[in-house]
Amino acid sequence: MKKLLAIIMAGVMMLGLAACGSSGGGGDELSVGVFYYTYSDTYISSVRTALDAQLTEAGINFQNYDGNSNQTTQNEQIDTAIAQGTNLLIVNIVTSGSVDASQAIVDKAEAAGIPVIFFNRAVEPDEEEGVVLGSYDQCAFVGTDAPEAGHMQGQMIGEYVVENYDTIDLNGDGVISYAMFMGQLGNVEAIYRTQYAVEDANAALTAAGKPELEYFDASNTDKYQVDQDGNWSATAANNYMTTNLSQYNESSGNMIEIVICNNDGMAEGVISALNDRGYNLGDGSSTTIPVFGVDATDAAKQLIADGKMTGTIKQDAEGMAGAIAHLTKNVQAGSDLMADTDSYNISPNVSNKIYIPYGVYTGE
Amino acid sequence: MNPTKMFHNKIGSMKQGFANYKSLDSRDKRTFWKEFLLNNALYILLIIAIIYTYIQNHNFLGAPSIVNIISLSAANLPIACGIAGCIVLTGTDLSAGRVVGLTACITASLMQSVDYATKMFPNLPVLPIPLMIIIVILVGGIVGWVNGFFVAKFQLHPFIVTLATQLIVYGILLMYIMINGNNGQPLSGLDQHFNDVVKGSIVSFQAGGARVAIPNYVWLACIVVVLMWFIWNKTTFGKNMFAVGSNPEAAKVSGVNVMRTTILVHTLAGAMYGITGFIESSRIGSNTAATGLNYECDAIAACVIGGVSFVGGTGKISGVVMGVFLLRIIFVALNFLSINMNMQYVIKGLIILIACAIDMRKYLVRK
Repeated sequence: MKKLLAIIMAGVMMLGLAACGSSGGGGDELSVGVFYYTYSDTYISSVRTALDAQLTEAGINFQNYDGNSNQTTQNEQIDTAIAQGTNLLIVNIVTSGSVDASQAIVDKAEAAGIPVIFFNRAVEPDEEEGVVLGSYDQCAFVGTDAPEAGHMQGQMIGEYVVENYDTIDLNGDGVISYAMFMGQLGNVEAIYRTQYAVEDANAALTAAGKPELEYFDASNTDKYQVDQDGNWSATAANNYMTTNLSQYNESSGNMIEIVICNNDGMAEGVISALNDRGYNLGDGSSTTIPVFGVDATDAAKQLIADGKMTGTIKQDAEGMAGAIAHLTKNVQAGSDLMADTDSYNISPNVSNKIYIPYGVYTGE
Repeated sequence: MNPTKMFHNKIGSMKQGFANYKSLDSRDKRTFWKEFLLNNALYILLIIAIIYTYIQNHNFLGAPSIVNIISLSAANLPIACGIAGCIVLTGTDLSAGRVVGLTACITASLMQSVDYATKMFPNLPVLPIPLMIIIVILVGGIVGWVNGFFVAKFQLHPFIVTLATQLIVYGILLMYIMINGNNGQPLSGLDQHFNDVVKGSIVSFQAGGARVAIPNYVWLACIVVVLMWFIWNKTTFGKNMFAVGSNPEAAKVSGVNVMRTTILVHTLAGAMYGITGFIESSRIGSNTAATGLNYECDAIAACVIGGVSFVGGTGKISGVVMGVFLLRIIFVALNFLSINMNMQYVIKGLIILIACAIDMRKYLVRK
């Protein structure tokens, strides 16, 4: 009985392997491997849905991989895919902003003689722009200009605070105290957003003759609270915010007066904590603490429509998927990887780097 | 036993203890104190930490802060109580966090308010809350049952079984949040009534000019703790669990159904993860595939700190509660002290190490 079971199971496995084998390979036909850094990321899920639709529509044969936030896993997936006959790599790299990690992938592609398109997560730090992307003519990058989101968020906050200064300044001390929630340590996007959101807001405030924003906890020299698991998660932001509110509140006269988050998920966690304290209920009767995020997820748009959240920065998932699909079709048609990309926003320093612009979102 | 009698007993045993202590010579007295300090090192450190934090920042022991520590702990109590049972059986459960994620997302999707624009199931009314609790207990329970079945039937180590089910549950969770055009977006916009029931508060009081509200899920956590205490200490199943944990062979010989007990412990644990998922869905308000990630690490750490030993067959619910609180107190205290975030990992690691070392010391001494 047991032997029979073992034989059946082995048979099923063989069938499975055979089925996998037959779907790959395939001579001249384009076979695309799309490598996502993790399936659990909200924004990346929107890109995945949009890209799946566009590639399917173009009749392109593709296979998705989940790197599960692990660069080693992703590298192994790429090796396997190349061995299997994949002839175009679309990579959402796990370790963002590291020349070593991205160079390793470019080397793999170069050795196999196939093009590679990176997207979303930066492949090299700004000061080393072109080191990786310039090393192989069959590679390209589709992403966002990492500092742009921070700058936009900062300007949006500055503008909003200048306009509503007295309403925001709950304790009337003439200084606005802010809280900052960072998504992940060591991630360039998170670093730029954390830095520029405050710097640019301060610049706008100084220009308007107002004092700069002040971090709510004077003894915290980091001036941010970070998700220790690096997940940009609502849970982390919620835990921090409830803890902060137990000490900093209106009755103590030191309430946090605006909240800046690296992404919308964290903003949602913060709003949930504020709601528990009777803030940001969106019913007109409660005090609203302005909360700012980045991504413009559906949930955040809804919160903004309900008056519970103030503003976010839109990352264009459709636009990003569109640009990737465009490059893929170039490869399919056998033309140059960067053909017909004049309509896109291309980096001034590196010719194979396409920027998808961000946009300010404060409601329809 | 009536309370007066219990009280007298306690006094009696204290008198006895004191008499024993007096009969010791000076060298033994030193050993006694050394043992006492070592065995209670964790509690002593905790008290020192609390006093230090309080001196640095008086808000730490204010009513809002204490209520905050209690509510942060409450959300983690059910999962820790569940996983503690698996540890008593000398096992572990790596699937706990993902089950919390799955049940949180299921709760959120079924509890979205009817007028929410991107509702996952637009045609579904908001379910009654008791039905929702039954659903999460069922979903968690099924995963737990599968864990228990493979552990008991095939004698597989729980580490392997739950490593596997953790992956399966994560896969299901990823599929679940993609359905109906949700495309992995966070599940939010929960029904107001549901939020009111879970994180609203029936008990609130004035403290220093501020209204301090105790969220309702704290009471839910209390019920869970009392229920688990009852199951562990007052039922045959609880006694069987400890028997199987300390020596499965002996338990089998003395007529305990080892297989049934193992499966039940895991099923119960799964149901507890479901309850944590239920609480988290409302507490966080935004649920994604990353919800619940690594929750099992904190829960296992809490159990171990609280004296639920990997040796098996030992542990108390009160210890688990203590462990959960200790971890949360550290989190809050480090925030109040504005200590660099990186230090939190180091401190947490040290505490787990010290707690386990003290725990094992007892067994080594006995041998």
